[in-house]
Amino acid sequence: MLVKDFKRDFYDVLQNQRVLVLVAFDVDALCACKILQYLFQCDQVLYTIVPVDGLQGLENAFLENAEGIKHVVLINCGAAFDIVEILQPEDHVRFYICDSHRPVDVHNFYNAVQVKLLMREDELSTIPSYDEVFRDDVSLISEDSGNESEDSETGYKRKRFDEESVLRRQERRRWNENREKVLFNYAKFTSYATSAALVMFELAWKLSKDTNNLLWLAIVGVTDQFIHFKTPREKYMEDIIALQSHVTRHNQRGSDDENIMSVNCLRISFEEELNLCLYRHWTLFESICHSMAIACKLRLWSLKGQKRLHEFLAEMGLPLNQCKQQFSAMESTMKPEVKTKMQEYMTKYGLVVQDVILPSFSLQYGYKNLMCATDYVLACTAVLESVDKSKHSTDNFLEASDILQRSSSEKFEAGLASAKLQLKSVVSQVQSFLDMHQIISAGPFLYVFVQEGTADSRFFAHPQCLIRLARFSLQAHCAVSRNKRAQSLPLVLGAPYNLEEGTSLVVGIPPLDTDDERKNFFGKAFEQASKSTSTTAKFHSFDSYIIEMKSEDKSKFFDALISILQ
Amino acid sequence: MLAEKALDLIRELHRTSSGTLSPYNEDKIRQVLEEMKTLFEQNKDKAHSVAEGQTDQLSSIQLRHAGIQRNKRCLLAYLYNRLEQIRKMRWEFGSVLPPDVKYNMCEQEVQWFNQYNRLLANYMRSIGESGGLDLTQDMKPPKTLYVLVRCLLDHGEFETQDGNIILLKKNSQHYLLRSECEHLIRQGVLEHVVQ
Amino acid sequence: MAAFSTAGESVNSYFNIDDILASQEKIPCSFNVDVAAMGYLDQSTTNVDISVGTKLELPFWLARYLYRGTRSIVSLETPKSYREGYRHILKADPNVVDLHRLGPFFYLFGGKLISFQLPDADDIASILLKTFQGRFRRIMDGSQNALHTDLTGQVSMLDEQERQLFAAGQQGLHDFQKWENRESEKLSTSVMIANHRKRKRIGVSTQPS
Repeated sequence: MLVKDFKRDFYDVLQNQRVLVLVAFDVDALCACKILQYLFQCDQVLYTIVPVDGLQGLENAFLENAEGIKHVVLINCGAAFDIVEILQPEDHVRFYICDSHRPVDVHNFYNAVQVKLLMREDELSTIPSYDEVFRDDVSLISEDSGNESEDSETGYKRKRFDEESVLRRQERRRWNENREKVLFNYAKFTSYATSAALVMFELAWKLSKDTNNLLWLAIVGVTDQFIHFKTPREKYMEDIIALQSHVTRHNQRGSDDENIMSVNCLRISFEEELNLCLYRHWTLFESICHSMAIACKLRLWSLKGQKRLHEFLAEMGLPLNQCKQQFSAMESTMKPEVKTKMQEYMTKYGLVVQDVILPSFSLQYGYKNLMCATDYVLACTAVLESVDKSKHSTDNFLEASDILQRSSSEKFEAGLASAKLQLKSVVSQVQSFLDMHQIISAGPFLYVFVQEGTADSRFFAHPQCLIRLARFSLQAHCAVSRNKRAQSLPLVLGAPYNLEEGTSLVVGIPPLDTDDERKNFFGKAFEQASKSTSTTAKFHSFDSYIIEMKSEDKSKFFDALISILQ
Repeated sequence: MLAEKALDLIRELHRTSSGTLSPYNEDKIRQVLEEMKTLFEQNKDKAHSVAEGQTDQLSSIQLRHAGIQRNKRCLLAYLYNRLEQIRKMRWEFGSVLPPDVKYNMCEQEVQWFNQYNRLLANYMRSIGESGGLDLTQDMKPPKTLYVLVRCLLDHGEFETQDGNIILLKKNSQHYLLRSECEHLIRQGVLEHVVQ
Repeated sequence: MAAFSTAGESVNSYFNIDDILASQEKIPCSFNVDVAAMGYLDQSTTNVDISVGTKLELPFWLARYLYRGTRSIVSLETPKSYREGYRHILKADPNVVDLHRLGPFFYLFGGKLISFQLPDADDIASILLKTFQGRFRRIMDGSQNALHTDLTGQVSMLDEQERQLFAAGQQGLHDFQKWENRESEKLSTSVMIANHRKRKRIGVSTQPS
């Protein structure tokens, strides 16, 4: 059931209760969780937080911690499947689901007692009506049993009844068919709604407990959704505008010069950021080479592309030696010019504003360096998906949480360093895909595999990095492909996951020409393909378009996928 | 050399780091006691002859006596410093010592520890308003009623005062009453997260 | 407690491990009288007795007992590291001397020596003070301003007491930084328990299972 009044039906209910919070492994969820933590601590609500990866992790975490718990909050997990069916909770347990995954399972939506959805109402408008998917069959059953007792009645009556029951059966079949259809249409595309962090922040705002700190978390959550290709640009802009009003509210500075900054004040400002990843902490040159939009447009993986970049930089009047040193060490007269110069000369190189500029927010704490929201997202994601084998995934979760806490700049630096490694591995993988012409069209979609034993394949055993690779590959492929259709083809990408068990991760991403929607149909397609080939493909995370499967089943699975999508 | 063995005991104490208790060195102690006994017997003999007027023995008696005194000091210091360490451990580890520490204690030390335990418990029960006051609590002045903690290891289930069971599993985070989890923090099961 | 206190020891130091170890430091002595049946103290001979004029290095506690004014059993010499030659070195630059090698309890033992009223006792007293004054600045500097540098070289040259001072200085700095970072309110694992656990882990890993 949808919660109408978050304060009354969610927050107030939890007062003086012990709450279990289950959090998915993504930056948005982490941000939302931190906001909720702050609120709980304000009101001294006792809680336990357990990070969960995947369905199995969710089940385990619930089983282990459910004792004596009446209220469970699920962040960015749980909406897409029937939570009551899966977790089999006791009757007094209530689930509060704050999840950006869509579609929401109809059982969750129509369960009025145990499941409460913390979501925006207007984003659930596509849900099928109750009568279409549920039917109180109780009356039918009772009539059926009544039927038997009437057996001794006259043949005429019985005949009439038979007619009636045939009609009823027909009607029922129709209804069932319709239900299937409605459900399929409803669940055909998976997409993302408003970020959990933003939803939580709005709750904090309603409670008048919002702070600059929480606002920053909401910003990071929203940014995470956008740069990991979850929400389309339009939705991102909408959220940014909403956030911007909060930012101005929280960061009002008087005209008094002394108020402008102090050592430990947190300042957030809206900025037309350069859409270059981590450039504040990297060299401008490297940053351009690893930024998807520009790198693909200029085809930077080729020699020609490199030349083009040199030309571009020369035209902007940025000397190479300046571009190849740390951005922070660049000549101070040049730094502020980079943005304007880029915009000035971009059209000549086929770049558009969206490639170069990203409206975003930046944060300054005291007199320290300016940090951009995307920096935080990339650093956090890299830490969450750390390839360090000695660390358990929950260690990564806590570490990422520390980064968001901003308590230690060392941890943040370390996160940035691993983010750079991740980006580098993505770019070099894309380059080898293109050099070896490994991206192949299978008719209805493109596919490519990361070979086993590739040096960086350990990076791609994590969902966000895999998606980034898929997206980068697709965009790069479209940039070089002469085939006009390339824009309208989706891509399926596989990468080795666990060599010992012989499993692979497979991700499907929608075609580029539908990028303004960012809806993914691979969830259903994978489900059907695995059903028809009876291969075991299990959901890896809470995103249905990423699955884990036996590497040996791959070809069988792909044949099925081709025939489904044709 | 005189009193060399006794010094070994002291060196042993000097080497042990905090948090551990070396095994009670019964063997060495016996050897030291034997040395003292021999010295004493010799002195007793010689003292008789001195009393009879043989003053040339006086200096050797003095020398041996110094040895006895030294041995005594070393032995007492050995025992005393061990007791100090055990007393400190009561405050750090709580009323139940880890088995490996207990294993290294001699019987008298175990007795002493139990008595100290009882004494402390009685005292803590007698002070404070009702139900006593736990002196091992709030070693640092508390700033908040509740604290956020992270589990550093799989500790198992933990029952709170209000009867709830919480599973302390590695890397889970909990918001708990400070008084309830302080000793778990001190024992290194939980990490206190300050925000 | 008074029963325990003997010459040269205050009440507090009777059980003190450092004090016991410091009082083990050797002093060159020569015997003024024969000592019967104690020849085994002198390992260079097989004589049963110690004869007049025998020179032996005796630990402080024994020398203290045997040296009683003019009619004492032994007469003493200043130990080498406190003699004129070393005093000159210490006077020249106290910072370069490896006090730990010179005697890990240089100050403590020196303080005890003074109580003997040797002819150069005053000089020893003044050199102890001067040495400490000369070295203190460096100790403090090292402990307060070099939290992340490897100072094992410097620390290894410190006398036991200086080491304690150094550790106290570092601890103070550490606590101060914690306070600055608002970490002083953070509850932490007891040091003793952490040590215990560490040792246990080492024990476990070295034992073949």
